[in-house]
Amino acid sequence: MKKKIAGLVLLVLVMLLVGGGILLQRRSQEEARTREEQEASRITVTGYTGGEKIGFLEDEEVQDLLQKNYSLTVDYSRAGSLDMMTADMEGKDYLFPSSNIALEYYEELHGQPVQSEIVLNTPIVLYTRRIVADALQSQGIVSESGGVAYVDMIKLTELISSGTAWADIGLPELYGSVSVDTTDPVKSNSGNMFAALLANVLSEGGTVTEENVEEVLPKLQAIFGRLGYMETSSSDLFSQFLRMGVGAKPIIAGYESQLMEYAVQNPEEYEAEKEDLVMLYPVPTVWSSHVLIALDENGQVLLDALLDEEIQTLAWEKHGFRTGSGSQGREPAMDGVAQTITSVSPVPAYSVMRKIMEGLQ
Amino acid sequence: MRKRILALLLCMASVIAMAGCSSGGENRGDGSGEGSQGTEAAGETLKILSGSENQELEEIINACSEETGVEIEMDYKGSVDIMRELESGAWDYDAVWPASSIWISMGDTEHIVKHAQSVSMTPVVFGIRQSLAEELGFTGRDVYVSDLLSAIEEGKMRFCMTSATQSNSGASAYIGFLYALLGRQEGMTSEDLQQETLQTQVRELLSGVERSSGSSDWLKDLFLEGDYDAMVNYECLVIDANEQLEEEGKEPLQVIYPSDGLTIADSPLGYLDHGESGKEDAFLAVQEYLLSDEAQSAVEATGRRIRANGVSDENKDVFNSDWGIDTERILSPIQMPDADVLREALDLYQTAFKKPSLNVYCLDFSGSMYGEGEQQLKEAMQQILLQEFAARNLLQASEGEVNVVIPFNEEVMQIFYAADDSDAALEELYNEITGYEAGGGTNIYVAAREALEIACSYDLDQYTPAIILMTDGRSLEGMREFEQAYENAGEDVPVFSITFGDADPNQLEDLAGLTGGRVFDGTDNLTEAFRSVKGYN
Repeated sequence: MKKKIAGLVLLVLVMLLVGGGILLQRRSQEEARTREEQEASRITVTGYTGGEKIGFLEDEEVQDLLQKNYSLTVDYSRAGSLDMMTADMEGKDYLFPSSNIALEYYEELHGQPVQSEIVLNTPIVLYTRRIVADALQSQGIVSESGGVAYVDMIKLTELISSGTAWADIGLPELYGSVSVDTTDPVKSNSGNMFAALLANVLSEGGTVTEENVEEVLPKLQAIFGRLGYMETSSSDLFSQFLRMGVGAKPIIAGYESQLMEYAVQNPEEYEAEKEDLVMLYPVPTVWSSHVLIALDENGQVLLDALLDEEIQTLAWEKHGFRTGSGSQGREPAMDGVAQTITSVSPVPAYSVMRKIMEGLQ
Repeated sequence: MRKRILALLLCMASVIAMAGCSSGGENRGDGSGEGSQGTEAAGETLKILSGSENQELEEIINACSEETGVEIEMDYKGSVDIMRELESGAWDYDAVWPASSIWISMGDTEHIVKHAQSVSMTPVVFGIRQSLAEELGFTGRDVYVSDLLSAIEEGKMRFCMTSATQSNSGASAYIGFLYALLGRQEGMTSEDLQQETLQTQVRELLSGVERSSGSSDWLKDLFLEGDYDAMVNYECLVIDANEQLEEEGKEPLQVIYPSDGLTIADSPLGYLDHGESGKEDAFLAVQEYLLSDEAQSAVEATGRRIRANGVSDENKDVFNSDWGIDTERILSPIQMPDADVLREALDLYQTAFKKPSLNVYCLDFSGSMYGEGEQQLKEAMQQILLQEFAARNLLQASEGEVNVVIPFNEEVMQIFYAADDSDAALEELYNEITGYEAGGGTNIYVAAREALEIACSYDLDQYTPAIILMTDGRSLEGMREFEQAYENAGEDVPVFSITFGDADPNQLEDLAGLTGGRVFDGTDNLTEAFRSVKGYN
């Protein structure tokens, strides 16, 4: 009896297996068919983006929304905001640099793009560690107000220009003189924006103009000349800042969004380090406006999609980009982030920036 | 009974579910893999072009393969060579893993590197025999490059360092030297490099280099085999060397962090985007594993740092403070010069600053080389002696270099000396070689003995000597005589061999073992083999 039951069970098992197999095959065929259909209407766009937006573009929620509502898959190559303007654009649908200057540069080289619009905004900030912030505070260069730290750019620039050693401001542990590491201002936007900011500070009357750029340039060259080798990507510089410690990168220039994104993506690490990490808002600062340049129709689809309110909300909440609709009226989710950015210096005109870039090359 | 059937059905359901999963995985040949996740990284092969210091992570990489199902092939090169490979697209590889980010930034002109993240960090340090370090007063205080320079000038210390034109540790240390000699902390310019006093001082400093190599890991091996005072290397490799030295009951090295010449290798692992999405998933799986807590702890246990401040408790012992290792110290590195100045500095290292090479080439012209072998041999010599070719691979002759060529079969056929280090003299030397034709038996030992004698007739403090043996043959006898001659000479002259065809690697390995040399396979890529040899002198 037992044997019979066992035999029966085996038979049922085999039948089920075979049946299941057929079913399975059929199902996967069907799946393949619907996938093909989807495939036909799906668009994959490729282009260049600055490294600081990769976290946003790779965000699964963002990708899902793009897929679901726009049948869009975004592929990218990373390139510096200015570098990408001269890169090979064969087969590319979009460029996603981090400033209006990059757009103007594009227009100069290639003429009017199919479409372009600012998608995300973030101010330039400085990142440093507690010991450095404290030392700068005791020099009267850094101040805190409402839990937000501000750095006086005029005083900081003086400190840098005069070649003051770290040891002179009470930090003998640090080698060399006070400086702010940036990305290469000729190749990447955060460095470029920081150069714009320094130029404005050095031109005593405010935003640097055609009239006084020649006067400002030698001082700017002196500051950047000392920096030596510069990274070409803002995201690389930021991760080196986080990874290599205060000795390697005492102060860097970056985007406000970078720390906010890091805090959301790596809550444990951020929690462990947040006492030591300090975000300094330069007074004044400059805005980095991330412009999407559509090179063709598919690029336009991407541009529309990125202005989607849901996506804009994700950009602020998970990646720290201030946006038109996404960040308005919302409280920042973490300490040390300013509610609003009040002290802003306008970015110099493109013709002026080009002189600055040529001077720094 | 009912229960049983129910159980059976449940079981079936799970079988179907599993089958569904795997069929989804197999279906990815149609190119729709984008966006789907999970098991598909398994079965992919990832070819990683890596700095040689990562050879020590082999166990972790094997574990990574097992965990992710991704097969990992590591190909080791010096970091500067990795930069050069990147410049030409690195088509043979799926990922790069040099010692420092700077080589990716400089080499990635085509923007193909994605997802680069630091796996670990280690500073470039001096490891000095502990008793010597104490004697020189280098313990318990800050040491500056100028301190090291005076010890070298006074003849109290000599050291080993990798070639600055091939390996990150050598390049970093060299840049540190330049800054220290300039008495500046930043902003090195092209004009600075042309200063006569600087040039004299750098030459002097580099004259203290006893041995060189094309990669950091091999430098460590060389150090352990030989009897040297000091080496410039990664902190993690000094730790590794010390573990072996102590095991053998030998004196360990004191780790010195030169205050004004420190650099940090941040070991970035980046994906090379050649447009294969399956590879990208495999890469991300591998990277995720290597950055996981478990793997990071294992990486730290090899003496690499995984965070800027301090070391975790479980690995404290690895960073032995008795060796001068200081994990509390804030590592404050120098600024690397901008890309153009760096390139110029590296060129100058090769052509003007490093200790001149003394090359004795022994070329096998025995009968078996007739035809293809002979052809290859002549082409190889063309690559190295004609400077227009040599420059392409950063193999140019250095100032004051000595070149000797010995064609041999079962005996030494002739000896040719290049008149001087000029391009014309080297071309002349090359022309002599082209006239030879292969014939006769083979005796590598007779040629090597002759070469040794020639090398020893020079003041070897002034040169980095190497006997470079190019052969396809095997010899019946002569090792004992060579051994005898080598011992009598009492000089540190390595024999490097480049093999052709069916050369007997055992005999050549024995020669390398005796002399601190190495054997390279020249069958596939002769230029590559040459670059490897030249890294060592």
